[in-house]
Amino acid sequence: MLKLSGMAVTSAALAGLSQQTAPADYTIDIAAYDLEVAPRRTIKTIAYNGQVPGPLLRLKEGRSVTIDVTNHSGNSEVVHWHGLFLPPEVDGAMEEGTPLIPAGGHARYTFTPRPSGFRWYHTHTFAGKDLHKGQYTGEHGFLFIEPRDNPARYDQEIFLALHDWDGDLLASGDGSMDPVYGVSAINGRVLGFGEPLRVKSGERVLLHLLNSSPSEVHWIAFSGHQFEVVALDGNQVPQPQVVSMLRLAPAERVSAVVEMNHPGSWVMGEVRKHIMAAGMGIVVEYSGSTGKPKWDQPNQLTWDYLAFASADPAPPQQAGTITIPMVFESKFTGHGAMDHWTINGKSYPETTGPTLTAGQRYRLAFINRSTNDHPVHLHRHSFELRRVPDHPEVHGILKDTILVDAGTQVEVEFTANDPGPTLFHCHQQNHMDAGFMMLFQYA
Amino acid sequence: MLAVLLALSSAKPLRAQGNYEIQVYGAATVEPKSTMVELHSNFTPDGQKYQIDGVYPTNHQEHETLEITQGLTSWSEVGFYVFTSEQNGHGVQWVGDHIRPRVRVPDSWHWPVGVSLSTEVGYQRAVYSPDTWTWEIRPIVDKYLGRWYLALNPALERTWHGPDVKQGLGFAPGAKVSYDFNRQISGGIEYYADYGRLGAFDSLHDQQQQIFVVTDLNVSPKWEINIGVGVGPTASTDHWIIKGILGRHFDWKKPSLLD
Repeated sequence: MLKLSGMAVTSAALAGLSQQTAPADYTIDIAAYDLEVAPRRTIKTIAYNGQVPGPLLRLKEGRSVTIDVTNHSGNSEVVHWHGLFLPPEVDGAMEEGTPLIPAGGHARYTFTPRPSGFRWYHTHTFAGKDLHKGQYTGEHGFLFIEPRDNPARYDQEIFLALHDWDGDLLASGDGSMDPVYGVSAINGRVLGFGEPLRVKSGERVLLHLLNSSPSEVHWIAFSGHQFEVVALDGNQVPQPQVVSMLRLAPAERVSAVVEMNHPGSWVMGEVRKHIMAAGMGIVVEYSGSTGKPKWDQPNQLTWDYLAFASADPAPPQQAGTITIPMVFESKFTGHGAMDHWTINGKSYPETTGPTLTAGQRYRLAFINRSTNDHPVHLHRHSFELRRVPDHPEVHGILKDTILVDAGTQVEVEFTANDPGPTLFHCHQQNHMDAGFMMLFQYA
Repeated sequence: MLAVLLALSSAKPLRAQGNYEIQVYGAATVEPKSTMVELHSNFTPDGQKYQIDGVYPTNHQEHETLEITQGLTSWSEVGFYVFTSEQNGHGVQWVGDHIRPRVRVPDSWHWPVGVSLSTEVGYQRAVYSPDTWTWEIRPIVDKYLGRWYLALNPALERTWHGPDVKQGLGFAPGAKVSYDFNRQISGGIEYYADYGRLGAFDSLHDQQQQIFVVTDLNVSPKWEINIGVGVGPTASTDHWIIKGILGRHFDWKKPSLLD
C-alpha cells in the first residue's frame, strides 16, 4: 500500500513567489521557445526551461521534493507527473482537481515521488484544433526516480524522447481529420543535426526511450545492435529479452541495455521510411570512429508485449476481482473534423466512471471497436497486463499506458490503492480532447 | 472537381453543348505511385434537339468519359481524358482527348484552405464542338468545415481553334457545397456556368448555367461515387442532365508497413 504524505500544491500570482522562503529543489519555467530542429528550420513552440526535452529531473524514491513552476506561456498550464502515485491535488490533471497555473502565475508542487523508475512529466492541457498547444508543444521532460537500491549494471545512461512536430490536420483513411506531422525528431533534433551519441566499445549503455509524441506510435531500431529490454514504462519486466526493435505508443517508455560491441558510426531511428525521412533518427558514434553513419533498413515491424511477461503460468484471476468493460468507439462529426470518442457510449465529461472501493482488485476490459489504435493511460496507478488478443492469460508486466490495437480487446488489472479521483484517457492528444476520458472515483 | 463543359466557352443562343465531365475539382491531388481511374457517365434526357452549324444535337446523347489521373509527386498529378458519345443515328463516337496537369499547395505550407491550379488542353471533333482546340486554366480552392465542404473553381477558358478563337478569355466558374449526413453519405449542390467573355459577359438568357443536386458515397478510400441530377434554367443550357462518376483508386506501391 502506498503511503501518501507531505504533498501539496499552491498556485498564486508571480508576485507571490518571493513569499516562499524555502528554495525549491527544482524550478521549471514554461515559456515560448524557438526550437532549431534542423538547419534553417525553427519551430515556434513552448518548452520547459528553454530546452526540448525539458530538464532531466532525478528524484529519490520516497524523499520529498519541491518543484516550483512558473508559467510565462500566455495560457493556463498544468504539469502532469506521469507514472507517479500522487494525490490528485498534485498529479497534474485539472479533471482530478489539480489547480491550473494561470498565465503569468506559478505553482509549487511538493510530493514524495514513487514508484522508482523511468517516468516523465508533461503538460496536460486541452489543445483541440490548435496544433501548437498541449502535447503538440515541447512541454515534456524526463523524470527518473532512483530506487533505494539500484541493481542495474551499466556504464552510461542516455535519455531519448521521440516527438513529432509541425502538425497539420489532414484527411485520413477513415474519412476524418487527423494530425499529420512534417518533422519527427529525437531530443528535438532531426537525424544528422546536433551532436551524436558518443559511446565506447565494450560499454553497456542503458537507454531510456520515451515516446512524447502527441499522437504517433514509433518503431525504433539501432543498426548493428540489439536492445535488451529491461523495463516497460519504468517498471522492470519479469523476463528481460533481446529484441531487434522497439515499439513505443504515445506516453510509453522502454528502458533497454545495449552492448556496444560493434564499433563504427551507426544510426538509431524510426523503422518506417517516411518517418525516418522526416528526421526521426540519431547518430551513435563509437570513440575513434569516422565515416558516414550506417543504417540497415529492417524489413518488418516486430513487437510483442508478451515476450517480457513472466514465464510462469498466469495465476487464476483473484477471487472477487470486479471486471469493468470499457468499450471504445468513434463518433463521426464530418469529413472536415476530428472524430469524437466515446467510452461505453459517452464522451467526457458525460462519461460515467466506476466508483472504486479501496483495496479492491479490478480488471479493466478495453474493447476497442474503432478503426484506430489507442494508447490508454491510467493516472496515479500502475496496472498489470493480463490478456492480449489470441493469447492465454499473462502476468508480470506492470505499466501505466498500454496500446489497444484497433478492433481488439486487451485486459489489465489493478488494485484500487490510491484513493481520490483518477483519470483514465487515451494519450493521443486529439482523442482525449474529443471525449476519450473517464474519471474514476473512490467510494 | 472538374467541370469540363466542352464547347460551353461559346455561349451563344442555340449553340450546341457537350457535357462530358461534370465535376467540381477539389484541391487534393492523386498521390505519387498511384492512379485514379474514373468513368463519367452523363445522359441528357432533355437537351438541344436541332443540329446547328453542323454540330450534333445533345438531346438524348449518352456521354462516357474515361479519365485517368496519375500522381506525380505529393503535390502534382496529370490527367488524361477520352471523350465518347452515343446517340441514336450516330452510334458510339470518339469525341476528343484532353490532358490536364495540376499542381497544389503542399500541406507543409499550412494554408487554411486547399489550393491547386489546373490547366487543361485538348481537342474535340467539330461535330461535337465547333471550337476544336481549347485551353483552360482552373484555380481551385476548397475547404472542409466540420460536416460542410465548399469548393470553388473560377475557371478561365480560351479557344485556340474554332469560331470563338477571337473571343479571348471566357469565364466558366464551378462551385460545390455539400454536407456529410454520415461517414458514408454526403449530399449537396454543384453549380456550373459559362458567363461568356471575361469583361463582356453574355446576357443571362445567353449564359449557360447548370445546377445539380448530387450525392457522394464514401464507401471506401479506394472508390469514388458521385451521382447527380441537373437542371439548366437558361435558354442556352440543356434542360435536364443526369450524371454519374465511378472512380477507382489504384496504388502501385508495394504494400508495406515500412513506408
